[in-house]
Amino acid sequence: MLLAGGEGSRLTVLSEQRAKPAVPFAGKFRIIDFTLSNCVHSGIGTVGVLTQYRPHSLNEHIGIGKPWGLDRARGGIRLLPPYQGRGHQRWFAGTADAIYQNLGFISDHRADAVLILSGDHIYKMDYREMLKAHVSKGADLTVAVMEIPIEEAFRFGIMKVDEEGRIVEFAEKPKDKSKGNLASLGIYIFGAKALDAVLRREIEIHPDLDFGKHVIPSMLADGSVVQSYRFSGYWVDVGTVDSYLNTNLELVKGQDALDLYDERWPILTQSEEKPPVKIGPQGKVAEALVSNGCVVKGLVKNSVLSPGVHVSPGAVVEDSVVMNNVWIGPGAHLKGVVVDKDVRVGAGAVLGGGDASVANVKNPDNLKAGISVIGKGAVIPGGTKLGCNVLVEADVDEKDFDETGVVPDGATVERGK
Amino acid sequence: MSQAFALIMAGGPSPGLSVLTEVRAAPAIPFGGKYRLVDFSLSNCVNSEIFNVAVLTQYRPHSLSEHLGTGAPWDLDLMKGGLRVLHPFQGGRFGDWQKGTADAVRRNLEFVGEQSEEHVLVLAGDHVYTMDYRPLLDRHAASGADLTVACRRVSPHETHRFGMILKGPDDRVVGFEEKPKRSKETLASMGVYAFKRSALMKILADETCLDFGRDVLPRMLANGASVRAATFPGYWTDIGTVQSYWEANMGLLSEDPALDLYNSEATVHTRSQDQGPVCVGRTAQVDNNLLSNGCIVNGTVQRSILSPGVRVAEGAVVTNSIILHETVIEAGARVDNCIIDKNCVIRADAHVGAGDDNTANKALPQALNTGLTLVGRDTIIPSGAVLGRNVTVHSGTLETDAAYKKKKGVPSGSVVGKPAD
Repeated sequence: MLLAGGEGSRLTVLSEQRAKPAVPFAGKFRIIDFTLSNCVHSGIGTVGVLTQYRPHSLNEHIGIGKPWGLDRARGGIRLLPPYQGRGHQRWFAGTADAIYQNLGFISDHRADAVLILSGDHIYKMDYREMLKAHVSKGADLTVAVMEIPIEEAFRFGIMKVDEEGRIVEFAEKPKDKSKGNLASLGIYIFGAKALDAVLRREIEIHPDLDFGKHVIPSMLADGSVVQSYRFSGYWVDVGTVDSYLNTNLELVKGQDALDLYDERWPILTQSEEKPPVKIGPQGKVAEALVSNGCVVKGLVKNSVLSPGVHVSPGAVVEDSVVMNNVWIGPGAHLKGVVVDKDVRVGAGAVLGGGDASVANVKNPDNLKAGISVIGKGAVIPGGTKLGCNVLVEADVDEKDFDETGVVPDGATVERGK
Repeated sequence: MSQAFALIMAGGPSPGLSVLTEVRAAPAIPFGGKYRLVDFSLSNCVNSEIFNVAVLTQYRPHSLSEHLGTGAPWDLDLMKGGLRVLHPFQGGRFGDWQKGTADAVRRNLEFVGEQSEEHVLVLAGDHVYTMDYRPLLDRHAASGADLTVACRRVSPHETHRFGMILKGPDDRVVGFEEKPKRSKETLASMGVYAFKRSALMKILADETCLDFGRDVLPRMLANGASVRAATFPGYWTDIGTVQSYWEANMGLLSEDPALDLYNSEATVHTRSQDQGPVCVGRTAQVDNNLLSNGCIVNGTVQRSILSPGVRVAEGAVVTNSIILHETVIEAGARVDNCIIDKNCVIRADAHVGAGDDNTANKALPQALNTGLTLVGRDTIIPSGAVLGRNVTVHSGTLETDAAYKKKKGVPSGSVVGKPAD
């Protein structure tokens, strides 16, 4: 069961028009591809994807599940959207509520164990190992865990375990650093019966039922066997613009962090039918991931380009992520920006590279690391100077920019104002 | 429903393509990085809304069959029509090996008779072009012709490579010469034919009609059939020789190529491999290339075309070359003016395409004399080996081959290894 319904508001405009799992990543992939590929490589042929927030891009991407071999007569992939029942209609109010409302799907498939995953993590993991540990310990619930930097602990579910790996204490997003740094990765295996029982019991108390906040603590309290399973590989939650850009750029550095080219564990995706990358005649590429259909006539440095990006002569793209079918005009300069799909960057525009310490005025929590984000379909007029921590909303037009052509650090360019 | 179905000829041995066709039929040869030659005719069909297509095979069809699969990349995996691959067979009135393009269709005349479309498009599996067949078919149907031949203007120096057409009033074809040494005409047949199905079945009843250009066209003219010409102004080339293969590939690197693969109106469909984006490393230098998914480049690549999954290690230099799928160029190796087929390993510090000696290839002096060195599939070139120009290395040749034992290296024009079984 893959949770893909959350809003992911910290990704700002990138997840405004699409659910976070559908955000493009590492050029030609979407974030959800990593988890879906893990499932099929782990021999899991029945996958339910729970959707709620803006699912259209995700639906389009998943289709009938063909790229993952999940277009099957029995099992395969199923989208599980919110639904109406006779006399009731409820949105998914929390992660565990979403599963609760789909317990029927789980019982129909008669599995003994249920793997609950998040559609917005980047990692490779063989779930079979975790399942083996879950079965051998006779656990009701097994939670994948990893040690993380202590200063990040407030973003995770943090736990203490005994020498058998059994979880003895669990705190959801603790401010208090004494709880340690062993974090839940949001990867759970439940015994199907235990899951059914705990969700039916707890939903009566918490209508917004959440795994970290309610389900795990209640299982610890009722004496269920809750085990930890240590994961030591590469795992990232690309929840913020900062981690989104940095995780992308990490992959440019080579195959050590996460090998996208491993034939034994390929990341499967809906590939766009596009020709090979064309470089030249004046193009230069230094340290980059460049996807099919890109034409590079300018300079691309330490960046990730999704399919169909056009970099005109004299343009420079550095330290940036540029998504599908963006057109970058002659002489434009991009530094430290994330550009969503179908954007047009006019000739000579300069994006990024101002004072990084000025946080975004409207959205200071999510845009403060210096990165500017350009929303889908925006048109940036030629010659615009656009600073750091700037947010350009989706579909803004040339007339949404003022005549000075200068967008100061921390500003937001709004649509139709 | 379209008014025509298509037959794509993919059975010929294409000896002019040397080791590239040693292990596969020409239509299955990779082109432009991620494509295969057959993708162009197949994509033209579906882009022209022709969803009933048969591919006729005979010579080494395995790679082609693998590529075509169920026809899904072209949306030809249909309940009715879709993609059919027609193989040689025994038994019945038509069962036997095919002795030419027209003979291949005659062997499958029962299939032709069973189709419901009124017209038949006969195409080649080794032509590179993007063409909407609908205007051709519309003119063909409107004129009531038995056969309409797609034509293009060629230089008078090239007439010996083509069937030349003499056109009369109303686009009627009044004369035809197959590959004349000299000709006053400059209108050449492209080998793209629109037949009225009944007319095709009638002419193929004659068992001595083996080849479309050489036999069918002249005989239809002699019989007084209505044959017309339709001029096609766009880019078109047939890949019959190593040189034409190389030139057509390299043409894609120009600033504004005659064949535009990036035109979304006429997408060329292919079986895409699920591989990561191109990774260009810190030590890499790339300049004027086509690079396909799954390539990892840490060396220098200039004016070259890399198919999916090619690896170029740090310190390796690849220039003016075509490198096909999954081939690995190790550190310090140099590759110049080469076509390296799939799954090869060029070991460290090897030099393939070395020196100024342009001695023609011993096996194919007529075809391999322009300095291109060809390395067949699944080949290993040993560390430090030096191979000259116009060399061919047969598929599957290992690094232990006797040719590599000589101190002075492998001289230009050599043939290394044994032909594939």
